[in-house]
Amino acid sequence: MPKERRRLRRAVTGWAFAAPFTVLFVVFSALPVVAALAMSLTDLRSTDLRNPFAVDFVGLDNYTRLVGDELFVKAAGNTLIFVVVGVPLTMAVALASATGLNSGLLRFKALFRVGFYLPAVTSIVAIAVIWRFLLDPEAGLLNNLLGLVGVDGPNWLGDTSTALPSLIVMSAWRNFGFLMIVFLAGLQGIPVDLYEAATIDGAGRWQQFRGITLPLLRPTLLFGAVVTGIGYLQLFEEPFVMTRGGPLSSTLSVSYHIYNQFGFGNYGYAAAASYVLFVAIVGLSVLQFRLLGTRGDS
Amino acid sequence: MTRHRRLATVVAIAAAMALAAGCGRDSGGEQDTAKAVGAGKATGEITVWAMGTEGEKLAEFAKGFTAENPDAKVTVTAVPWDAAHQKIAGAIAARQTPDVSMIGTTYQGEFAKTGALDPTPADLFAKDSYFPGAWDSTVVDGTAYGVPWYVETRGIYYRKDLAAKAGITAAPKTWDELKAMAKALQTKAGAKWGINLQPGKTGSWQSVMPFAWSNGATITDGDKFTFDSPAMTEALAYYQSFFTEKLAPTFLPEGQLEPDFVAGRIGAFMSGPWHVGILKDQGGAGFADKFTVAPMPVKQTGTSFIGGSNIAVFKDAKNRDSAWKFIQWLSKPDVQVKWYQTVSDLPAVQSAWTDPALSGDAILSTFGAQLKDAKAPPAIPTWEQVSAAFDSEVEKLAVAGQDPATTAKAIESKATAIGTGS
Repeated sequence: MPKERRRLRRAVTGWAFAAPFTVLFVVFSALPVVAALAMSLTDLRSTDLRNPFAVDFVGLDNYTRLVGDELFVKAAGNTLIFVVVGVPLTMAVALASATGLNSGLLRFKALFRVGFYLPAVTSIVAIAVIWRFLLDPEAGLLNNLLGLVGVDGPNWLGDTSTALPSLIVMSAWRNFGFLMIVFLAGLQGIPVDLYEAATIDGAGRWQQFRGITLPLLRPTLLFGAVVTGIGYLQLFEEPFVMTRGGPLSSTLSVSYHIYNQFGFGNYGYAAAASYVLFVAIVGLSVLQFRLLGTRGDS
Repeated sequence: MTRHRRLATVVAIAAAMALAAGCGRDSGGEQDTAKAVGAGKATGEITVWAMGTEGEKLAEFAKGFTAENPDAKVTVTAVPWDAAHQKIAGAIAARQTPDVSMIGTTYQGEFAKTGALDPTPADLFAKDSYFPGAWDSTVVDGTAYGVPWYVETRGIYYRKDLAAKAGITAAPKTWDELKAMAKALQTKAGAKWGINLQPGKTGSWQSVMPFAWSNGATITDGDKFTFDSPAMTEALAYYQSFFTEKLAPTFLPEGQLEPDFVAGRIGAFMSGPWHVGILKDQGGAGFADKFTVAPMPVKQTGTSFIGGSNIAVFKDAKNRDSAWKFIQWLSKPDVQVKWYQTVSDLPAVQSAWTDPALSGDAILSTFGAQLKDAKAPPAIPTWEQVSAAFDSEVEKLAVAGQDPATTAKAIESKATAIGTGS
């Protein structure tokens, strides 16, 4: 049957083209993901390295243990705060600066664009060093400025109540540049005649922003929210280089906790925690699509 | 298409579960016994992994060994400390280990439990020639794996000149005297802080456990943790009192200790031998006369912490006998002294300390004497995790003012939840 054969041939050709990606994906992505899932159902520890299959199947034990793990619960809370406060903050700052740059409020546009984007391309290690200087309780710029107006600044990174907020502000500063560029592109895609029409109808700047900019920017905002949300849920670098999760675990994130658990050699347990984080990320993305996605008017 | 994908996922998961379910732990219990090492000189290539400075300097140093054993060749791979645990763990999983590796004392329990380390042949190494605390750190479930290579311990550094100003002429010998000295340094000698003790964070157990050990507290009894004891609570209360009485800072930025000590803002601190060099560098000319080191103050005993590193042979070693001979050479007293002169690692072999290179130095002699009464935590695979829990409770104790008895109970319950990994 020539038709059948032709179909087979096409399938083989198709798979041949797809093979390089498929093989890489299966070996380095799919397999580890499945292996990690299997691992999360066992009590595999680093002491089992020589005989990784000689472990016990423990079912969902690791997952139930997570719920009772004081540190995991604390880390989940910290991460939640970081996302709930950090994502809107970063997006608001990015949107404000993008709108400012787009509407010509600022002169030296190119300079500001580069300036705002620089943190996004700077190494986190360099940023950490600078911010630790800035936030130093004795010699830091911030507390010295506060001192000028007679305020005795706190020990930002050393105090349980200010450490996480400090990291949120730092992350917003570090990440808004990328979103700003994305939003700027989105803004430039909005036809100018809409604004002209609105101006003729007597709409003010704020009304234009709410009536034209926000609705038309919705897909861009959704993209920004999803990307930032995924990134922030995996919070790791900032506490790792700035606070080591301290003081008193007030900046411990879920990813950091997983990292620690892998370090302690609790492979099965850490894999379970990773899966919980994975599900949380999927959940957050779905939620954002629901909230910000197109509402049947596309 | 979707049905295919779903099917594939189901199959993969089922296969993985079957694999996981089909295998189980064997009950274990088999005792490792050391095999004898053949006589004669070492031959062939001996591959060695070492971390940090040791890794950089060992290749050159090993030429002394190959001069005595012309048929042998020592190949050293320097491994950065950050990557060491990962690299060794990976090598064990792949059964591609070197013949010999330096093993951090905190890795010992974990790697010995994997069954990857070769038991120490008793005919080559005499247990008594090492510091007892150091030897204990190689023993897992009653069997020694590897030998101590170098050691370090903790003492109390203090400013002699400031102490004299405060009317203190002798080193503090008891807990009360240490407290009194910290107070005097602060009130009479103008130090902002009488003493610096680590207020939690990674490794603070190394500062707390010496006080606990000195008070007779223990970490384990068999497979059970024994953190929740009156002796531990009392030691924690003593440790906490330095913070509640504002004698010690609850927060000190990294790198601030040394300049503050040099400037006299901190009168004393607890640390190991490496600080001698740092202080001499930072203090400049003449500062060496202004400070000294006191051994741990006595309660029931004056026990300190013993750290350092072990060196071991892997079961999968290709050149096992020669590997052990290389370690035997490293353990010779005169080689240990030469190694000290090369990288400042303190000898783990007791008889090396009679060498004038070590016994001639007052501060080193203090550390040398302290090493005879110094303990290491039990070599259990979960120690890193237990100690991290310990550290976070110490932080609550020192910084947040958590009650000592509550702290001891919390450490005990967290440690028990983690288990001894046996």
